[in-house]
Amino acid sequence: MGTRRLLLALAVAAVLIALSLLLGRFGAYLVRAVAIAGIGALSLNLLIGYCGQISFAQGALLGVGAYVAGNLGNAGVDGVLALLGAGVATAAIGALIGLPALRLRGLYFAIATLAAQAILEYLFKMLEPFTGGVSGLVIRQPAFFGVPVASDQVSAAVSVLVLLIAWLALTRLTRTNLGRAFLVVRESEVVAKGMGIDVARTKAWAFAISGFVAGIAGGLIGFAARLASPEAFTLDLSADYIAMIIVGGLGSWAGPLVGAAFVVLLPEAIQRVGEAFDIANLLSALRELAFGLLIILFLIFEPRGLSSLLPRLRWAQPRRRGAAPSLGEPGGAAVATKGGERP
Amino acid sequence: MALTAQNVTIRFGGVVAVNGMALDAAPGEIVGLIGPNGAGKTTFVNCICGTYRPNAGTALWLGRELLGLSPHALLKLGVARTFQNVASLHDLTVLDIAKLGAAARGDAGSARSGGFFGSEKALEAELTETLLRPLYLADVAHTPIQTLPYGRRKAADLARALAAQPQLLLLDEPVAGLTSQEGMAMAAVIRGVRDRFGCAVIMVEHKMDVVMSTCDRIAVMAAGSKIFEGLPDAVQSDPEVRRVYLGEPG
Repeated sequence: MGTRRLLLALAVAAVLIALSLLLGRFGAYLVRAVAIAGIGALSLNLLIGYCGQISFAQGALLGVGAYVAGNLGNAGVDGVLALLGAGVATAAIGALIGLPALRLRGLYFAIATLAAQAILEYLFKMLEPFTGGVSGLVIRQPAFFGVPVASDQVSAAVSVLVLLIAWLALTRLTRTNLGRAFLVVRESEVVAKGMGIDVARTKAWAFAISGFVAGIAGGLIGFAARLASPEAFTLDLSADYIAMIIVGGLGSWAGPLVGAAFVVLLPEAIQRVGEAFDIANLLSALRELAFGLLIILFLIFEPRGLSSLLPRLRWAQPRRRGAAPSLGEPGGAAVATKGGERP
Repeated sequence: MALTAQNVTIRFGGVVAVNGMALDAAPGEIVGLIGPNGAGKTTFVNCICGTYRPNAGTALWLGRELLGLSPHALLKLGVARTFQNVASLHDLTVLDIAKLGAAARGDAGSARSGGFFGSEKALEAELTETLLRPLYLADVAHTPIQTLPYGRRKAADLARALAAQPQLLLLDEPVAGLTSQEGMAMAAVIRGVRDRFGCAVIMVEHKMDVVMSTCDRIAVMAAGSKIFEGLPDAVQSDPEVRRVYLGEPG
C-alpha cells in the first residue's frame, strides 16, 4: 500500500475517533453502527468481492461472534481477548460453512450457506446454556485492557479503531500471494487450478479470514447492544450486508465502507425526513420499500457501486492510460495488433 | 531423456481423444507438436500437466511419474504450462500475474514470498529484470492485464509460467492469434528462454513458419496418435504428413 493511502486512512480514522468522542450520544451511536457494519461488510467483501464465494450466512456468523464475545466477556475475559476469541471461533465456523464450496459453485453454494444460516439461527435458540435461548444473552459492560467502556462515545471510538485495523490488514492481504490467488479463484477455478493454485486451500483461507473478521464485528455488535438474541442475527441481516457490498461496489475496499454507511444511515435519514414533514408514520411504513427501491435503482444505474462514483468526482484525476503498445519486436518499434481473439 | 511419455491414452465417453501417444523431450530441446484440429494435441498436453487424468500411459519426468498429479504439485516439480486462451483476470497487473507464477513454485525463501509482512520490492525488481524485460513487458508491469492487447497478455502468461522457474515448459499455441510480426517476436522469445534457462519445451502450434524456425524436433499427431516424428525438414517432405495436415503442393 502507498504511504499516501495509509496516511489518508489514519487521518480519516483520527477525525472519526475525535468526532465520536465529541459527539452527542446519538451521533456516537451512528458512528459506531456504521463502523461495525463497515467491519462486517469488509469481511463479506473479502469472501464475495475477492474470492467470489456468495454467502448468505454473514448474519449468523456475526451472531456467533456476538455470543462468543459475550460469553467470554461475561466470564471476566478482557474485551480485546474476547473479541479475538470471537474471531477465532467464528473463523472455525466460517471454514466449516465453506466446506461445501469445495464441491458446489456459485448459486448452488449460496443455497448451502442459506442452510448454514438456518442451522445457526436454530442453534442460537436451542443452545440455551450458551446463548440464553429465545430471550437472548445479556452481555455485561466490556472492559478493554482493563478500562471499562462506559460511554457510547468511547465504544464508537473503539469500533472506528478496530475498523481501521481491519481495513489495513485486509487491503494488505490483497497484496499477498494469497490475495492474488483469491482474485484468480473468483475469475475462474479452472484457470486457478491450471496456474497451480491450490483452489481448496485458497477457499478455506478466504472463509477462515472472512469469518475471523466477521467474528470481531459480531463481538462488537454484542458489546454495543449488551444483548445477543436470535432475532438480531437473521437472514435479514445477511441480506443487509450483501446490500452493503453491492451498493458500495463489489471487490473494492472503499465500497464496503460507503455501502455500510449508506445502508445504516438511509433508514435514519428517511426517519428524519418523515419527522420533518410530519409524515413519519407514512414513511416508516414505506421505509423498507424505499430501501429496496433505492438498491434496485443502484443496480440498474450504478452496477459498480457507490465507490465507482468517487473517482469521477475527482475532476483533476487524469484519464486512464490508453491501450498499451503490443509485444515489441526485438530492438524495433512496437507493432500494432488488432488485439482480437484467435480466429 | 528428461521427459518420457508413453502410451498416453484418454477417452471421453466413446471418443478416444488421445490414443497411445508417446513423446520425449530433453533439456534444452524445443519439441513441436503439430497436427490438424481435433488431433488431440492440447488434450495430450492437458494429460501431462494434470488438467486431465488419462485412462492409461506413463509420463516419467526425471524418474517421477507425472500422470495423475495436480497442477500445483507439478509446478513444484518444475513443470509449467501456458494456455491457448488467456483468461482476462480483472484488476491483476502484469507483475501480479508473474508473482502468481513465482508463488506457485512454493519457494520458502523469505525475500521471494508474497507474505503478509515485508516488502515485495526485491521480488518485483527480480521479476521485472529477468522476465518482463526480455518479454517486452517491463513498460506495462503495473498495467492491468485486461487492458492489454492479446499478444501482450500471452506474453504475460508466458512470464507467469517462467516465474515458476520450470525445467519442462508446455506451450499451448503460444503464437495463435498474434500478428505474424508478433509471432516472430514470440518465437525469438521462446528460443531465448530455452537458451537462458535450459528447459525442455513442448510447443503445440499451427503456424508452420514459427514451428519450422523454432523447433529442434517435430511430432505430428492425427486422430489421437503420433503419425510422424523427426527433424523439421523431414516433416515437410513426409508424404503422410502432407496428406493429413500440410496438404499437397500445387
